[in-house]
Amino acid sequence: MTQLVNNAVSSAVDRPRLRLDGIFYPKSLAVVGATNAPGTVPYDILANIVNSGFQGKVYAVAPGKKSICGVPAFRYVLDLPEPVDLAVIVFPAEVVDRALEQCGQRGIPAAIVISAGFREVGAEGRRREERIKELCRQYGITLIGPNCLGVINTDPVVQLNASFARAMPQPGPIAMLSQSGALCTAILDYARQRHIGFSKFVSFGNKAVVSEIDLLEYLAEDPKTSIILLYLEEIAEGRRLYEVARRITRGPNAKPILVIKSARTGRGAAAASSHTGAMATEDAICDAVFESAGMIRVDTLEEMFDTAILYTNQPLPRGPRVGIVTNAGGPGVLATDAAIRFGLEVPPLGQATRQRLKEHLPATANMTNPVDVIGDARADRYQAAIAAVLDDPEIDQLLVILTPQSMTDIMAVAETVCAAAGSSAKALAASFMGGVDVAPAVVRMEEARVPHYRQPEDALRAMAHLQQVLRWRQSAVGDGLPEIPEEARRQARQMVDESPAGLLPESQALALLGLYGLQVPSYRVCRSPEQAVAAAEEIGYPVVLRIQSPAVIHKTEVGGVLVDVRSAEDVRRGFALLVERLKAARPDAPLEGILVRRMIPPGHEMIIGGKRDPSFGPVVMVGLGGIYVELWQAVAFALAPATAGQVRKMLTKTKADKLLSGLRGQPAADVNAFVDAVVRLSMLLADCPRIAEMDLNPVIVGPVGYGIADARIVLS
Amino acid sequence: MDRSEIERRVIQVVSRVLSIDEDDIQPEHHFVFDLGADSSQSVQLVDAFEEEFQIEMDREAALAVKTVGEAVDFIAEYVNR
Repeated sequence: MTQLVNNAVSSAVDRPRLRLDGIFYPKSLAVVGATNAPGTVPYDILANIVNSGFQGKVYAVAPGKKSICGVPAFRYVLDLPEPVDLAVIVFPAEVVDRALEQCGQRGIPAAIVISAGFREVGAEGRRREERIKELCRQYGITLIGPNCLGVINTDPVVQLNASFARAMPQPGPIAMLSQSGALCTAILDYARQRHIGFSKFVSFGNKAVVSEIDLLEYLAEDPKTSIILLYLEEIAEGRRLYEVARRITRGPNAKPILVIKSARTGRGAAAASSHTGAMATEDAICDAVFESAGMIRVDTLEEMFDTAILYTNQPLPRGPRVGIVTNAGGPGVLATDAAIRFGLEVPPLGQATRQRLKEHLPATANMTNPVDVIGDARADRYQAAIAAVLDDPEIDQLLVILTPQSMTDIMAVAETVCAAAGSSAKALAASFMGGVDVAPAVVRMEEARVPHYRQPEDALRAMAHLQQVLRWRQSAVGDGLPEIPEEARRQARQMVDESPAGLLPESQALALLGLYGLQVPSYRVCRSPEQAVAAAEEIGYPVVLRIQSPAVIHKTEVGGVLVDVRSAEDVRRGFALLVERLKAARPDAPLEGILVRRMIPPGHEMIIGGKRDPSFGPVVMVGLGGIYVELWQAVAFALAPATAGQVRKMLTKTKADKLLSGLRGQPAADVNAFVDAVVRLSMLLADCPRIAEMDLNPVIVGPVGYGIADARIVLS
Repeated sequence: MDRSEIERRVIQVVSRVLSIDEDDIQPEHHFVFDLGADSSQSVQLVDAFEEEFQIEMDREAALAVKTVGEAVDFIAEYVNR
């Protein structure tokens, strides 16, 4: 097995880790630029640090002040009595560099820059941000921000609230990382209402020095954190994010990463000159990368926290089978529908369970799954049903639904749920539907850390996400890549490096693919009708004739392709016809020759594509090809190089696997050969950084092997 | 009014508004970084300069002034018109 990854890719992964203890566990800190005006960020940050019970020493740097909030103040950072572990800089952007330079001179190793006014505001701001990056490099300062809300660490040994959030959250096992500062305050308020606690809470802003990836690496080893939530607006180092997240989400100390990536609408497709380029939007690649790194992408904050509270408060369900106990038929049906929609199962209960239920429930109750304990049920019926379903070996997790009837003892049922949730080895979630009447019971359950959801669907979506976590952990780490001889790789790199930017001639594109072991149809580039006839005789009829001119990107637009050419006479006539057509359509276009190629037998038309994304690096695409590309856009992406296992998953996602396996009596196509082609193409893409885009479309997959009908490779 | 007189009176105003000893105020001092002026104090300073010198300044331009020395030059333009 071999895996040669290009330098850009490997260097992104091997970066040394930043030291973040100074940020999260400072023994002393200074608020630099503090003022005496309550209600302003420079004051509130200091007040929050003091009032949150920070366990270390605090100083203020505030020219003209003797003390603020009872904290001694100094004119300059250089005047501080000790080199503190952390500087929290709240000066206006225009003087942040001066403050930071003094931090460097004073030997302060870490800083949080709260101030806005950097790259988010245009050219002047970009210059300021470059300056602070330069200072951090010069003095070795680890810096969070600028343009952020700050950092919170609820660990009792430090109790740090270096932010301008309104309140310190309660401690808990959830770490939250957010690129948006304003969103953080909303999240903290929302979390307080739902009694959700955090281990670390970081608004990382412009990520001038410390990025979300550095923070993920830190949190991976943070014993106080068991799940990581991430809100992202842009991904600057996609390849590194993938590598780091993949390590965190699997293995003995695996932690799930739930991610919201905003700005889903596509960009970057405008300048694309291939199908792959047009379809490989940032969002499509994000989806693929998150999935292949084991990250769970969610759409809303509510969905994110719904999942996090289930994961952190209940055992990880061992399978997709859900038991439902309800006092109302309608919600039970809705819940069942949602469960199935989310890929969960609602299996029938075992005989023993049904027998137990019969002993405790009235004859009118439904003793299948969902178990309907009937509208007049009190806590005793719930207790019996919950115990029986949790004991059923056919059930992996339980959802308890309640609607508030006049005789429903809501609080007693809540107590029953709390007791069951605390004692079972299976996950339990509740949905007490309604508003005012159920509110006290909801508070009781949330305080007892029983996952509660306003709607049963929310609970089931969270359960489905935990199944994603489970499947990811149970999935194989990945298979290897095929061996490509080093000499072939060297020749390929040389061919690419020596070619000018733009579309690679078709013959060279085919040669390049051949070097990487793809099945390339026999072909010759011919400069005369006689050469073409000789080539066709050698290759064997029928053949395809294709015009070769660097000025013609889309051959069909000039009528530059003739298919199913079956005789020497037809080859001669075809040669002349193509030359005439080129002259008519593009009189100035140089003719390099006519490519004579074996005609590919019919089969399933697929596309294999590749693109170099500025953030994620080489990305491979696969899907239904030919005319179906534009129509269905049934394509899937993976980072290159992709293994056979990954490619098979991509085929499943596009449903091409079903097509290739032979629908309605059609012969099955050679999936193995096709998968191998995708893997090899992805390796070529990873090895040759100058390949900007490529389309093999269509690749015609038959019962034995495949044929590449058209290959377009664009070099940067 | 000569420049040194303007500077003397500017430093007096800065000292009064920001509660800093006159001896600790130098022409090259930055209002925010060296003298700790917050945004409301910056507005107060502009008001106090206008009152001290009986002038009416372009407020946006006045608030963009960074250092004590720049303030002296800025005010001199109004005073000596």
